[in-house]
Amino acid sequence: MMRGTLGTMLDEMILDDGFLRCMSLDFLGRPPLESERRRFVGKSIATFSAEVLGSRDFWSHWLDEQLYYFLLIDNFRPAGERIQAMPAELEAERLSVSQALRQILLSSSFELRNPGADTFVTVVIEQLLGINVQKNARELEIGKRAYDGHKGTFLGREASSQSDVIRNAVEDERFWPEFLEREFQRIVRRELPRRESQSWARRIRSGEWTYLQVLRDWVMGEAYAERLSQRSPISNRLFVRSVFVDLFDRLPERSEARRMRSALDGMGDSAPLRSVLVRLILDSDQVEFPLKSSLDRPRDWIRAQFLRFLGRPPEASELESFAETLRQPACRPATVVYALMTHHEYQLY
Amino acid sequence: MAHTPSNNPTSRSADSLTRRKLLKAGLAAGAMGACASAPFAWTSRANGLALPGKLKTKRVVLVLFAGGVRTRETLGMPDNVPVLSQMATEGVTYDRARTSNLGHFGAALSIFTGISEARGIRENARGPDPTLFEYLRKDLQLPASDVWISTSGGVQQTNYSHSMHRDYGADFGANVLDGDGIFNREFREILASYGKPKQWADEERKLLAKLRSDLAGAEENKERAKAVATVERYVMEELTRGTADLRGINSGDAKALRVARNLLSIFRPRLLSVVLQQADVAHGSFNSYVEVIRKNDAALGELMQVVRGDPELADSTSVIVLPEFGRDRDLNSRRGLDHGDGSDDLNFVSIVCWGPDFRSGQSVTDAVRTIDVCPTVCELLGSKAGMARGQRLPRLFS
Repeated sequence: MMRGTLGTMLDEMILDDGFLRCMSLDFLGRPPLESERRRFVGKSIATFSAEVLGSRDFWSHWLDEQLYYFLLIDNFRPAGERIQAMPAELEAERLSVSQALRQILLSSSFELRNPGADTFVTVVIEQLLGINVQKNARELEIGKRAYDGHKGTFLGREASSQSDVIRNAVEDERFWPEFLEREFQRIVRRELPRRESQSWARRIRSGEWTYLQVLRDWVMGEAYAERLSQRSPISNRLFVRSVFVDLFDRLPERSEARRMRSALDGMGDSAPLRSVLVRLILDSDQVEFPLKSSLDRPRDWIRAQFLRFLGRPPEASELESFAETLRQPACRPATVVYALMTHHEYQLY
Repeated sequence: MAHTPSNNPTSRSADSLTRRKLLKAGLAAGAMGACASAPFAWTSRANGLALPGKLKTKRVVLVLFAGGVRTRETLGMPDNVPVLSQMATEGVTYDRARTSNLGHFGAALSIFTGISEARGIRENARGPDPTLFEYLRKDLQLPASDVWISTSGGVQQTNYSHSMHRDYGADFGANVLDGDGIFNREFREILASYGKPKQWADEERKLLAKLRSDLAGAEENKERAKAVATVERYVMEELTRGTADLRGINSGDAKALRVARNLLSIFRPRLLSVVLQQADVAHGSFNSYVEVIRKNDAALGELMQVVRGDPELADSTSVIVLPEFGRDRDLNSRRGLDHGDGSDDLNFVSIVCWGPDFRSGQSVTDAVRTIDVCPTVCELLGSKAGMARGQRLPRLFS
């Protein structure tokens, strides 16, 4: 990939709170923990890339993203041991990305989510290969017969079972370009031209590169530098995880996160419910705030809250106004945090 | 292609490029504007296109009795659907409405856009073509509180709210609520585990408002903040109404219809759409499928009671009911019904139209399409679905 001015800029970038927040959300699905802020702020992006990409937390988030892509969420989330062990297996390189995807599709959850031959085969070829079934009705019909146990040539190879349908799709030449384009869109927020995806796909298929190596190259490239210069709306699942990390320095329990995310997903615009959630948590006394009287340097505390929640220091006018307001007897530290967490910038990253 | 990382990352000075500087440098200007824009804007109810003076219809309830439902089990067996059958005898029924097996998501979206939308079954993205919600909000300058969708199919269905079309989009989208996603016991318990929000003193609320208004970019988001507050209040009230306690094989659909009923009572929106989904249980059980149909018809009856029981609503509300497509002709090996055989049972459904402007007790056998609903609803309310490929349903008006 050609590297231009922005690519050069990226080499020179250090991780400030803004970059770190953004990259942590991109690759770990959450803001940085306090320990990670201490470790990475002031370091280079390459350092972050080397240490985080390929870690257990990274693969855990990757798996969540894949399950969400197939809408294997809530009651349809696979709960088997193989799926649970997947992040560790991927980290140890005992499992490849294509094998992981194949296992996801072989799970009983996938079959439950996509009942019947028509739905099952349609989803496999649409989601894995980007094939429009309306324009490939014959392939769909062959796949449906294979699903029901009849022999046929599906995607150019013999198939006579559900498992064969999935195997043939994962091993089809369209699988890697489609996957890489999807991942590029997810991470870099722009389309990967088909010629480039095919070029990457060839390298992966030949064993020259792995997906992780491709990803590391993307991260140091011009397109990702541009992505870092832009803010995008935060998804509901990232929002829920952000709230917990920002307020408790930990992730929510999986079931808690699921229920909150599911509720937020139930609204076309979830901002009203996000506000309700934040207010409830802040009012619950479960969040530890410093006593106002203990704030020796209120401006420093305000500055730290801006960095933590918005990933940027306050403007001079903001700092002045917040300091003045915090001095008022009725203003608590929680009031300041609530204002920041319901600000539109907190909904972007 | 390979990248060589920096060998001395710790030598970077504090003056190196930071994200803040990069954002300030203007690289993000375009994206910031697009991404931070309000998903819906509450505009005043200024007079856009005039409503058709001679029609009594002032609001429309559009029910997608979806999840794949054949006419055989609905109007073909009136005992299953007494409410729908009654509506049919009082309104106009289209017995042969053509649809396409585009998957539940694509087929339902097609009804909203008036264009056959080939979408992936699990595709979780908005479509390219404007929806009737956007046509109405833009043409009639309706506020977001006037256009709602109540769903039961989860995250994917929130994509119905608006399209990615450059001339329409988020600013003209509908409010979407998924009843089962929000109003369920588990979520209510989670909320309860944090206790009730405390009552903040007036002085603190004023200071909070000041903090918010002093934050960068607050001014341009003022209208949106107002809209968010209105919906926030509604959600908090709905959480206490008992919708979360609905149970049974059709609980998701029942919640969607219950939410719709409450929205109709509270907001009296110009367009309220309900999207059901649970008839799709048919893949595994024909009997469960029929049970869902029966229960959904009963829940539809509760919604209709609100319409019929309120003189203003009864005289000004039109209701249109249709599935997105049917199901296969024959049972599968699990004694269920899939949707993929290309039969007439799958490809043709019935549309029931009930309202003050429609003919009564009429059955139209002309071939129509489910995508004709979008332009029909738009015209009923005084708008025009400019990009829709469907046409207004024929022989509808009295």
